[in-house]
Amino acid sequence: MDKQNVDEHRPEVAVKIDYEHLDVAQIMSQIKKIAAEKPRRVILEEPSPAEIKPELSFGLFPAIPPATLSFKQKIRIKIAKLMKPFFPLIRLLALPIHEELTRTIEHLHETNQRVDYLFERLAERDVSKDYIKLLHNLSHNLVVELTKLKIEEETLKSKTRILEKDLESLTKREKALEKKVFK
Amino acid sequence: MRIAFVVQRYGLEINGGAELHCRWVAEHMQKHFPTEVLTTRAFDYITWKDHYPQAEEVVNGIKVRRFSVSKSRNPERFGRIQNYILHHEHKENDEFKWLDEEGPNSPSLLNYIKKHESEYDYFIFLSYRYYHSYWGINTVPQKSILVPTAEHDPVIHLRIFKDLFRKPRAFVYNSEEERKMIQTLSRNESVPGLVVGVGTEVPSTFSAEKFRQKFKVEGPYIIYIGRIDENKGCHKLFEYFLKFKREAGSDVKLILVGNSVLKVPSHSDIYHLGFLSEEDKFDALSGAELLVMPSFYESLSMVTLEAWALGRPVLANASCEVLKGQCQRSNGGLYYENYDEFREALKLLLSFPRLRRALGKNGQRYYEQNYTWDIIENKYLSILDRLGTK
Repeated sequence: MDKQNVDEHRPEVAVKIDYEHLDVAQIMSQIKKIAAEKPRRVILEEPSPAEIKPELSFGLFPAIPPATLSFKQKIRIKIAKLMKPFFPLIRLLALPIHEELTRTIEHLHETNQRVDYLFERLAERDVSKDYIKLLHNLSHNLVVELTKLKIEEETLKSKTRILEKDLESLTKREKALEKKVFK
Repeated sequence: MRIAFVVQRYGLEINGGAELHCRWVAEHMQKHFPTEVLTTRAFDYITWKDHYPQAEEVVNGIKVRRFSVSKSRNPERFGRIQNYILHHEHKENDEFKWLDEEGPNSPSLLNYIKKHESEYDYFIFLSYRYYHSYWGINTVPQKSILVPTAEHDPVIHLRIFKDLFRKPRAFVYNSEEERKMIQTLSRNESVPGLVVGVGTEVPSTFSAEKFRQKFKVEGPYIIYIGRIDENKGCHKLFEYFLKFKREAGSDVKLILVGNSVLKVPSHSDIYHLGFLSEEDKFDALSGAELLVMPSFYESLSMVTLEAWALGRPVLANASCEVLKGQCQRSNGGLYYENYDEFREALKLLLSFPRLRRALGKNGQRYYEQNYTWDIIENKYLSILDRLGTK
């Protein structure tokens, strides 16, 4: 393949294009692959610590140089420092609330799972509903067909009876004729 | 040989769809044999109310006979009936009720066809889904040729059409996909048919610069030409384009050409220019980076062919099998099924001018091989030749 005729890998667009034998279906399959990968890539990428806002960092994250902090953030850090001796007491007071919150989250999680399960059941029910509808149609058609067959059978029976009677009378006639002929 | 084209509306004012298709083909076939058009007096395709006063007139050299519409359409009642037949178990009579409501209900047109059948060799019916085609073909099946202009919309599955598709002497399809769809639905392989489509009139000169100056458009732009309607997928186009602008930070603009029945979002990079003259339209198209076709249902997109005729690439909705098939056959455009694919395809097309040029060139070659008027006329002539003179 002529290298000049192939556009390869710009950092943001990783699609190989062969200009000598341009094939839309082949370009599209590459685009589809990229389109399918991209959203996943976004989810997998975790934010770097620098991207996390400093107001969340009460000593939990690496210190940020004071020069980069805004006035508001500096005040918040000062208040946090002043409050530091009271943290054990605050934690003690907040513990029951925290436990209650954890329990609520667990309940919510269970409820979500149940809702998911119910949705699945609902989808299954819809499918079953359709099957029942189809079965209903099928049984209806079968009943119609069986009725037709029954009528057909009755007709054939009557025809057979008529034929039997005809045969009987023909036999009688034959016998009578035989008697006359061989007298 | 004498031919009559039978179509729901006809006139110079009607600038799209099967009606324009009919006018162009009729005007070109006039060169080969006497051609007439049988149509209604309607102009409004929603109500089909009588609009044209004269019963007979000559339009661009073609004799046009117009017939009154006896019952105008009530859109609300039509919607109700259509909804019923599409979503409920129903009888064949309900489908006839739908057809009556679909219109344009013109028994006088059918009477004319019946009375004057012997004066014409063939009747070419356009658009399968209307009253005139259904009853017209049933009146003169042995002399009828159907140009179905069928899209993948739900009414094609109605039972009455399955029978209809087996009745005409021949079919003129717009695309391979349309032929496949109709043959799968009705198993009418025994009826002869040819994929023809329609040509397009491309002006000899056009100027992107003139368009930019006239409408004060700067920078790169992509273009959509057609009715701005939800049925044409425009709502999705707006959603995708705005999302693309936010995510990609591109300076590309979206130019919309055509009348709108949908609210166009107010955004500094979306220009709605309304209906443009043919000259302005081609000027605009020639300057566009690409044509975007978001439509879900098309039997043949004339504007896509126009873009290819000018060597412009196309970005089409892959949900429309016809557009996707045309892009693949021509190698003249890319397509998308969802936003992620739209973003990637548009990003690729905008980043690589060479790719745009290559796709445009392929599209142009495809247009020249299949859709110039000489080719279209010859295909019509070959069908008529195959059927012979009645």
